[in-house]
Amino acid sequence: MGIVIAVISGKGGVGKTTATANLGLGIAMNDEKVVLVDFDIGQRNLDMILGLENRVVYDMVQVMEKEANLKQALIKSKVSNNLSFLAASQTKDKTVLDSERVKDLLEELKAEFDYVILDAPAGIESGYEHTIEFADAAIIVVNPEVSSIRDADRAIGILDSKSQKVKDGQEVVKYLIINRIVASMVQSGEMLNSEDILEILNIKLLGKVPEDKGVIDASNQGKPIILNEKSVAGQAYQRIAKRICGQTVKMEDIESENKGLMTKIKGMFS
Amino acid sequence: MFPWTKKKKSASVAKDRLMIAIMSDRNNETYPFIDELKAEIIEVVKKYIGVKDIEIKKEREGDFEALSIDIQLEST
Repeated sequence: MGIVIAVISGKGGVGKTTATANLGLGIAMNDEKVVLVDFDIGQRNLDMILGLENRVVYDMVQVMEKEANLKQALIKSKVSNNLSFLAASQTKDKTVLDSERVKDLLEELKAEFDYVILDAPAGIESGYEHTIEFADAAIIVVNPEVSSIRDADRAIGILDSKSQKVKDGQEVVKYLIINRIVASMVQSGEMLNSEDILEILNIKLLGKVPEDKGVIDASNQGKPIILNEKSVAGQAYQRIAKRICGQTVKMEDIESENKGLMTKIKGMFS
Repeated sequence: MFPWTKKKKSASVAKDRLMIAIMSDRNNETYPFIDELKAEIIEVVKKYIGVKDIEIKKEREGDFEALSIDIQLEST
């Protein structure tokens, strides 16, 4: 029986969908069976990031409404046999989701996959609530930036009150990914560091992802950055995927710069 | 180096502002049914004593959550 992980953010545009795609692929590369489900109904995007947009025939709403069965709607990734994808509906709106249908769909997926990873819509509306309702764990993606952190706190608050696990008296596991860290800005005190963010949100860290220009290039091509072994963000997602699979991977220090001669000299005077 | 070049770093400003904003967000949490609840409580209390206003707040301290209900009575 697989576990359900919701990837959430509160605010949009922080790299939630990119994180979902990369972690899905990363976990699949660790020999686990993974399915990614795009819950952002009306704003389908995960298919583009994965490079699977041309292969979408049926979407998850059609599966829920029994217009298609799961087998017809699941799309196999080109790069990993272990990774499947279920697209969001682009024509319906978020109100089509209801608890019973979501629950049934997730049960069906859990029976077949080790990891069921849900890409939540941004915001804290009903679409979001349905994504987190039956999740065993949540991964919160933030940027080191005030609006993202504040909105993440709201999303975590709703997770804590609306999750079925919490209602049943259990705990929903929560972990944070800090995305788009710029080491030089952290060092100069212009960007919040990870310790401060963890303290503000009172949450455990899953991993830190550095800012990486390659991410846009990767999504242009529909090839998640984790496939590029030289990219710093790709390496960060590799480490995070391993942690999710239960391996112990050291928390890499990506907030200190490799100091060049000039910064060393400057450092002597400050 | 020079005291006048020492400016508070913006990251620490951000941290302070976030701490306060999030604290107040958490305290302002409310329920969608709060208005109905308010109206019903007013109806019940009104049977016995005059009510001027009522304020319901969700409070959280650590792991404990409470609903605090302040009822302001009509002055006699």
